[in-house]
Amino acid sequence: MSRLDYLDELEARTIFILREAFSCVSPLAMLWSIGKDSTALLWMVRKAFLGEVPFPVVLLDTGMEFEEVYAFRDRLVTQWNLPVANELCPPESSVDQTLPPAARHAARKTAGLRALLAREGYRGIILGIRRDEQAIRAKERIFSPRNADGSWDPRGQPPELWDYYAYDVPDGAHVRIHPLLHWTELDIWRYTLREQIPYVPLYLAKAGKRFRSLGESNITFPIASNADTLEKIIAELEVTREPERAGRAMDNESEDAFERLRTTGYM
Amino acid sequence: MKNVRIVMVGDVDAGKSTILGRLLVDLGLVTPAKLEELESSSAKRGVPIEYSFLLDAFQLERDQAITLDLTRIWVRTPDAEFVFVDAPGHRELIRNLLSGASEVDAAIMVVAADEGITLQTRRQALFLRWFGFANVLVAINKLDLAKDPQAAYEQRASEVRAFLEQLGMHARAIVPVAARSGDGIVKPGPLTAWWRGPTLLEALGTLERTDVRQDGPLRFVVQDVYRRDGKRLIAGRVESGTLERGEFLTFWPLQTGARVVTVHQWPREVERASAGSSVAVELDARVFVDRGAVGSRATDAPELGHVVQTTVVWLGRDPVGSGEALRMRLGTREIPVTLQKIEEMIDPDTLEPREAEELCSGDVGVVSLVSRELIAGDPHLSESSLGRFVLLRGGAIVAGGRIDAVLGHARGEGATNVVAMTSSVERVERTVRNGHAGGVFWLTGLPSAGKSTVAMAAQRMLFERGRQVYVLDGDTLRTSLNVDLGFSDEDRSENVRRTAAVAGVFADAGMIVICALISPFAADRELARSAYPNGFHEIYVSCDLVTAEGRDVKGHYGRARRGELAHFTGVSSPYEVPERPELIVDTATHRIEESAALLLEYIESHVRTR
Repeated sequence: MSRLDYLDELEARTIFILREAFSCVSPLAMLWSIGKDSTALLWMVRKAFLGEVPFPVVLLDTGMEFEEVYAFRDRLVTQWNLPVANELCPPESSVDQTLPPAARHAARKTAGLRALLAREGYRGIILGIRRDEQAIRAKERIFSPRNADGSWDPRGQPPELWDYYAYDVPDGAHVRIHPLLHWTELDIWRYTLREQIPYVPLYLAKAGKRFRSLGESNITFPIASNADTLEKIIAELEVTREPERAGRAMDNESEDAFERLRTTGYM
Repeated sequence: MKNVRIVMVGDVDAGKSTILGRLLVDLGLVTPAKLEELESSSAKRGVPIEYSFLLDAFQLERDQAITLDLTRIWVRTPDAEFVFVDAPGHRELIRNLLSGASEVDAAIMVVAADEGITLQTRRQALFLRWFGFANVLVAINKLDLAKDPQAAYEQRASEVRAFLEQLGMHARAIVPVAARSGDGIVKPGPLTAWWRGPTLLEALGTLERTDVRQDGPLRFVVQDVYRRDGKRLIAGRVESGTLERGEFLTFWPLQTGARVVTVHQWPREVERASAGSSVAVELDARVFVDRGAVGSRATDAPELGHVVQTTVVWLGRDPVGSGEALRMRLGTREIPVTLQKIEEMIDPDTLEPREAEELCSGDVGVVSLVSRELIAGDPHLSESSLGRFVLLRGGAIVAGGRIDAVLGHARGEGATNVVAMTSSVERVERTVRNGHAGGVFWLTGLPSAGKSTVAMAAQRMLFERGRQVYVLDGDTLRTSLNVDLGFSDEDRSENVRRTAAVAGVFADAGMIVICALISPFAADRELARSAYPNGFHEIYVSCDLVTAEGRDVKGHYGRARRGELAHFTGVSSPYEVPERPELIVDTATHRIEESAALLLEYIESHVRTR
């Protein structure tokens, strides 16, 4: 192998981050939304740890995912021998009712995550978010500390110089680890294609529509598209101006919807 | 297609976010819906269309029209993908600027035509130079506010040139722009009609991605050791150079070594891995390697020493001064260090060095750091992880630094430009031949506590077992090497330092060295440890004063009591009992043979090869 190409470079950095997390933060778990990003991340976890997944992989389950998503999960769990755990989220009636309706679904995941953390005492949670997805996520750190109540203090983030991260976690608090932060949506699809990583078929166009981002079935909508192969998805994304999460109702209900979700602990 | 990462710097109001917002809009990368949303957000706050809102996502940012944290913006042109890191300009958010600048290939400095180079801009430029940027792209913004845009540009451009020259940097281009109206960003406009140079977009096209060092010396930084199917796999990243299957790697600072049998990049095995790769290697021998170690070729090793000269940017909320204990993270290793001295700080106003007692948040200074552990660093590889580090205070990152030099030993004035030769015989080879490792076993205790007696007895037993062993006895050395030294505190320290240095050489040569020295001061014993940091054992030969004085083998206690001996430890000079010795041998309650057997067992368990 000669010098690294662009995708190799992204992958090597993600593996470096995963290994740092595993060495320096314990106990650790990874959230798997079963979407394209966290599935690609899971593939890189296997690369980092030579075929094994050395921490639990958790689905925050609202019971509202698409059927295709559950089917894909069951298939991959067997195929990759994943140590998977399903975390059922509390009902909608238990979350902040002042949030816009779709955001309340997202808040259920936050509540589910909080319950998981309280029960298992995880000090590190690995997540497949990316900076180019959303303007608030663009401000994230790779190792991002959360307070004991799960909240994020975006204005008091620690310095993150080169590949040196802050691993220290006060008791009761946790650190969110974001090994895909430097990837873009296009990078993920190019990598998925190159590595032949499995993905949920809902991303491919059927009858002129496809899902660009997958969330709960009741608050996620397909976009108009004829891209029925990965190559076509990549070509589509190379020219689109539409934001990735346009089909996610929770982001777009009010100007501050996503900021409010994030500061209270949403992924 | 090239992919270039760029940081934006400039004072708080210079218009960095507006330039980026404008770039997005004029390149047609913003949807009509997003533009409408922008107009309504702007109208809600009673301002004309505010392009920076495209980047400033937080409510507070939009309300106050400022950027609070780093953000990243992806801009795709037909020829390139750019990632812009937009860093806030306020002084208190320097940690964000530094975080941003640490991940990029190039920098754009934005100077407002009406304000010129502010103190904040000076500081930021200083950071850029500190990060190793030799040049920047400059945008002179807000020409719409100038009566005569061309004259305003010429004046600011010449100020910028002079300022950068003073810093030892230069401008790739100095581009006139008016971000609010879009002039000079993607295409020229009325305000820049006189300009014959590039637009900002054209200037961006000349930037290139910096490559990780392929041609540098091999540095393999170890992150962890995994066990798979009974095999030990050393996981880490190649920071520079190329790692090849079959070659012999030496791991620093322990100086263990073994041959690389396989290079894993699951699911494949590869012949070689180039700089930047994350791999796991399997070695042909069970040598001790763990997180923090650095693998290199034996002939091309990092520099080793207990003192490093560095340039740091201090980020801690509270200032730092000499004498403070911190932790240094270098590569994947964490090393306890003490800030020995602030040599100078760089005044951001004048850019001249000046003396300073402490460094406050945002200050750039030259400091020396000392550690009792051996530091393996690369002053000439400032772009690799062994040339740069962070400092931690209580788990939080409080400074970033670059290593300027690695110095010989911890005593300051020593020869600072001497580079230790790498031995032609590996430590591991000596260990293999001797059947055991070397080590320093440092016996400390009151006079007549039994140090020499126990040392000699243990030496005899080790020798009988075929071990390479030697005793360095304090009294004996005072008749030769240390004959010029007396018993003042200073001379005692020097006595310990020299003895430790000799012991370190013996141990490095593969021998078991037992030192029997009163060595009454804890600080001196800590320094002694640095002569052989990873194989030094402090052993307290414990005996109460009454029992020791009762023995008084040499009659010294008697003379000291009679006032004939000044500076006699236990009587007229203090003895600092070790706080955490590796072993305690109590000669007051045990017979000599028992004490010697205890020491023997301890030594054997620590030099045994696995």
